Amino acid sequence: MGLLSVIKKVKANEKELRILMVGLDNAGKTTIVKRVNGEDIGSVSPTLGFNIKTMRYKGYALNIWDVGGQKTLRSYWRNYYETTDGLVWVIDSADHRRLEDCKEELHALLSEEKLVGATLLILANKQDIPGALTKEMLTRVLDLRKMTSRRWHIEGCSALTGEGLLQGLDWCAEDIGSRIYLCE
Amino acid sequence: MGSDQVAERLSSLTVGDSPGTPGVSTLLHQQRREPVLPEQALRLTRPTDGFLCPLSANKYKIDFREFEIKDYDSGESLFHVKRDPEAALPTVPDDIDPAMEAAVRTVRYTFPTSFLGRKTIRTALVFSVGPDPVPNFRMIERHYFKDELVRSYDFNFGFCIPMSVNSWEAIYDMPELTKEREEEILASPFEMRSDSFYYVGDTLVMHNKAEYQYKD
Repeated sequence: MGLLSVIKKVKANEKELRILMVGLDNAGKTTIVKRVNGEDIGSVSPTLGFNIKTMRYKGYALNIWDVGGQKTLRSYWRNYYETTDGLVWVIDSADHRRLEDCKEELHALLSEEKLVGATLLILANKQDIPGALTKEMLTRVLDLRKMTSRRWHIEGCSALTGEGLLQGLDWCAEDIGSRIYLCE
Repeated sequence: MGSDQVAERLSSLTVGDSPGTPGVSTLLHQQRREPVLPEQALRLTRPTDGFLCPLSANKYKIDFREFEIKDYDSGESLFHVKRDPEAALPTVPDDIDPAMEAAVRTVRYTFPTSFLGRKTIRTALVFSVGPDPVPNFRMIERHYFKDELVRSYDFNFGFCIPMSVNSWEAIYDMPELTKEREEEILASPFEMRSDSFYYVGDTLVMHNKAEYQYKD
């Protein structure tokens, strides 16, 4: 509940980045956001809409939009593409059965015109589970090398242990920052 | 105020359509309200007299389910209210008596005095929407102390998925208050007020008020 002047100050000092987080249901999107934010991850239930969270991170104000990944919700993702600076695609690396589904949805998403300029971070989540595919394997399986004109990065991570999350987020924020605040 | 009372108030803030067809008195009541655009809400400099839309304007059935305020640095919960999701929404007719309407649509918060000294707070709101897609949902909130505008907030949720449950967490820096100002606020219960306007596109669909006091 700041005064007007305070709000102006925050806006001037903090660079706002809009991050859209999507992926199939049960990939761990909400748990990742909670883990990064230092919250309890014990009771996460399926997201039936969106979760918006503002976070301060390395001088940036991150506005993270985590949108539910259930099949019935995916057709609504397009409503959240506008003004997205960074796209985070989350994968359940141990869900071998739905890799094809995951690949299709990802490539469909990347063909969206409104997302052409967005930085892409792929989080290969659930690396703590035995049998999870490594980021190198996923790069091959998901045909990521096909993306030649986009800035992208894949990071192995675990929302449970926290491994890899900050490295991924660092890359994402740095990449967007170097791109959109270059002229300052 | 106990949290049960607050919960009761919170639930009464989210009211569905009134049953049956509107009577003459309802129509007269509505005619008194001129539509107020977002740009106009952003120019208001004092609390409104009464409410700028009827309760029945909430045709998207936007329903607030949970609200929490936390200290950003310590994570300590300062205020938390959650409505039983099974509880039916109360219905209130549009031709409700204005005094009654003010009571139903105004929440009174009592915060501990230490609240004024917090550096940064986090607010978390959970809301659901009805069966229709909500195209462009936006909240404008104006805060006043003794009829002086002290804060304005404007947030665009954008699109809401039909039947969705959504959450929104924001961070606010608290102003550093002078000793005099803090004493003035403590000595003026409920003279800190806010108007919350909820728009879908340019249409005002909800208008609620809140009043705050700081007391241990």
